[in-house]
Amino acid sequence: MLAFISRRMAAAVAMLLVIGTIIFSLLIIVPGDPAELLLSTGGGSASAEAIANLRVNMGLDKPVLTQYVTFLYNTARLDFGTSIVDNGSISSVIALRLPRTLEIIIAGTIFALLLAIPAGTAAGLRAGGKFDITASAINALLTSIPGFVLGTLFIFFFAQVLGWLPAGGYVAFATNPMQHLQMLVLPALTVGLHLATIVFRMTRASVLEMRGHDWVRTAVAKGLRRKRVVRRHILYNALGPIITVVGLQLGILLGSTVLVEFIYNWPGLSGLLVSAVEQRDYPTVRAVILTVAAIFIGINLVIDILSSLLDPRIRLQ
Amino acid sequence: MMSVRNFHKRMILPSLFLAALIIIPFAAPLITADDPVKIAVRYRLAAPDLEHWLGRDEFGRDRLARVLYGGQVSLTVAFVATTIACIIGTFFGLVGAYFRGPSEFVTSRLSDIVLCFPPILLALLVVTLFGPGSVTLVAVLSVLYFPTFARITFSEALRVTSLDFVEASRALGTPSYRIVLGTVLPNIAGPLSVQYSLTAAAAITIESGLSFLGLGVVPPAPSWGQMIRGARQFMNQDPLGIMIPCAALVLTIFAINFFCDRLRDTLDPKGASGSSMDEVSKPKAQADAPTIKDPDVVAVINKLRLETAHFGTPAVIEDVSLILRANQCTALVGESGSGKSLSSLALMGLLPGAIRQVGGTLQLRRKSDEVVDLGFLDARTLEDIRGNDIAMIFQEPMTSLNPIHKISDQMIEAITAHRPMSRSDARAHAIALLKRVGMNDAERRIDSYPDQMSGGMRQRVMIGMALSCEPRLLIADEPTTALDVTIQAEIIELLQTLRQDQGNGLSLLFISHNLGVVADIADRVAVMYSGLIVEEGPAAQILRDPHHPYTRALIESMPSSHEELNSARGDRLPAISGTPPLPSARPSGCTFRDRCPIALPACADIRPALYPSADGERAVRCLRAPEAPAGVMNHQTEAA
Repeated sequence: MLAFISRRMAAAVAMLLVIGTIIFSLLIIVPGDPAELLLSTGGGSASAEAIANLRVNMGLDKPVLTQYVTFLYNTARLDFGTSIVDNGSISSVIALRLPRTLEIIIAGTIFALLLAIPAGTAAGLRAGGKFDITASAINALLTSIPGFVLGTLFIFFFAQVLGWLPAGGYVAFATNPMQHLQMLVLPALTVGLHLATIVFRMTRASVLEMRGHDWVRTAVAKGLRRKRVVRRHILYNALGPIITVVGLQLGILLGSTVLVEFIYNWPGLSGLLVSAVEQRDYPTVRAVILTVAAIFIGINLVIDILSSLLDPRIRLQ
Repeated sequence: MMSVRNFHKRMILPSLFLAALIIIPFAAPLITADDPVKIAVRYRLAAPDLEHWLGRDEFGRDRLARVLYGGQVSLTVAFVATTIACIIGTFFGLVGAYFRGPSEFVTSRLSDIVLCFPPILLALLVVTLFGPGSVTLVAVLSVLYFPTFARITFSEALRVTSLDFVEASRALGTPSYRIVLGTVLPNIAGPLSVQYSLTAAAAITIESGLSFLGLGVVPPAPSWGQMIRGARQFMNQDPLGIMIPCAALVLTIFAINFFCDRLRDTLDPKGASGSSMDEVSKPKAQADAPTIKDPDVVAVINKLRLETAHFGTPAVIEDVSLILRANQCTALVGESGSGKSLSSLALMGLLPGAIRQVGGTLQLRRKSDEVVDLGFLDARTLEDIRGNDIAMIFQEPMTSLNPIHKISDQMIEAITAHRPMSRSDARAHAIALLKRVGMNDAERRIDSYPDQMSGGMRQRVMIGMALSCEPRLLIADEPTTALDVTIQAEIIELLQTLRQDQGNGLSLLFISHNLGVVADIADRVAVMYSGLIVEEGPAAQILRDPHHPYTRALIESMPSSHEELNSARGDRLPAISGTPPLPSARPSGCTFRDRCPIALPACADIRPALYPSADGERAVRCLRAPEAPAGVMNHQTEAA
């Protein structure tokens, strides 16, 4: 087990290294001078002095190898440098905003799992039945609604028409817990519904596959209660494939939170990212993306370990 | 495989829907003469009228024109990017599959890495460097998606190139480019087209998302994402403003997804099937109260008739009657497809959803001496009976145990399902059972997983588990077929011993096609052919002196008996010619007559009944058997 975990961790670190390298080399492979490119605005180019300053600031004047090593070393220390817009420390901004983004993702994921796993199981157990047909149709429709459209429509109905929930904004939990939670509902719902469509699909397919296996027949032949057969011998087996897919989809989920946070004015990582992109603040964009990639890899590492706990065959390999 | 006509039929609706949504935006000049970028602030947020069907937006621009021209931009960006990604990806995939080695690494690893990035973030990274715009978008999207195409092409191409007919054409010297173009490409076209539509939908989502953020298509060029962005601020006064671009976007993505789902179902129909797990229909009413008079009898199957659930299909089991006694082993013998397994599954209440019982009774004497009819019980009572009064061992020990639970857990739950017992007591009981079925080191091995055991060991576990609640009836469905010959003998021996040891007079229903094994273990034999019992009686009598030509053929085709009978002559082992008829194609009269060496014309007219012998010990379903009443054939022949 320990060997398995350390092997997976080594792979995760290697993955991070590759991603860091790719992000780093984007600056190298762009045609022309990156500093000039970043400061250019719609055809007009910046002053030579500004460009020279930026070059020094970003370390672009040093040899590529030095730049690369410095970049890796600083990244490993979680030092992402300073913003080229306001010279503030990027790391501290990220430390401030990351928990807010994680909050939406965690709340959304919990909502998605609570909704989609029972629904997907019911649909898979009675595939072709009324519930399955209805739920699958709703799912197909929801799959076709991009997150930002869903968010916009939510604001329109829940905030504007019905007036049940605030249209957006953020209040720290410590300041006003009730208001904080109210403001969390719509963003979490938007992110969660999107994930729920994927989890539903996967759960349904996985349950449908598992229930046909011989061991399910054995479990029924033992005289186990139906509920126990479903829980222990269908759902428990289906969980491995489900969480693996959820892990892979989290990449898309993390992406969709960018838009969701933007829509609801939620000051997480995405607001930082969007404004950084608008201002062409490359170091900040790079840092945010590295953080997100690291979170994504971390989640998948946890999921790998979880599924090996669920399925001995993965460990025994 | 789905026929060509079916294929077209199922694809018509989604194709038309999708084509309409793609064509309409490009027919914009025919639909409206308005300019999507012409500003008329005076008419801002004007309501729909005859000239401007969908009203005007926050700058007074015609909304119909904007939604149509915006669609052009979104669709163009998405489809151009997807096409580029598809071409580059397919090329890399084919090269990787053909040359293997380093290019293989590139194609498969590259997509892993790209998958790590949330696509929209990678797009943002590039937009930061190059600034927003349609060209940047196309470039980003094609870079984002080509590795997925490469991976799909790669794995599909590997699969296809290892197919027999491709290997054959390579062996015949067909040049590789012809193999790739002629066989590989058409074979991977299906998965590729599914991926193409998936990618197009994702690309539209990303394009509109970026435009919504103001980082995609540059204003004033219209795009759906931008329209939503613009209308957001005015959603109070003007809900139509967000509804129209949202609807356009959702409809388009839905059309692509719908097309994609249908395409996938059509290409791979097995995913679309599905019968319900717990929808076992039961006979309508209970005819008579169940009665088993003889205290020695554990179960009685009487005139069982099973049909497939589809209306009007013939019976898969026509007429099966069996009496199972305590301390007796009854063997059910026959070719695969004769219905022997279905008969036993009916006893367990485990019939597949597509098959239902339409006639006959399945009576069981429970351990409490209560007699019940298994066909009419509620689910709860059936659960109480399974594993407790009747237990079953299946053919495939490799798949019959759940691979992700320990043996101990699987045995303990079988015990505690029927006996109120603490976990540790149940565990001790399970260990005792494992010892009883001959497992060495049971204390340790009980904590292993099924994958750590051999097939023979797993079958021992299954037997131990089946015996855990001391059932009165044990059904063994070809318990040795999947095992090595030496292990087979051990398992049969084990079943023999256990049967004699079990205190409460276990009745064993042993299903097999191996007459050698049957001769060792069975007291009585019932031979099934095509959903009917054709001969039944004491094992010794039947095997020594079969009266039905099918039983005789089965015995003669056994290698061991053949040696005994014919070793001196050195001729060949006889086989039964032909195959058993499908339920839908059973001949008139005797179902075996087409394969019968002694069939008479009368056999085509009369369906023989099960004729009992004079002493009532055995019965046979054949007009030419000694048991057949003398008059039957003459009478019929005269009539014919």
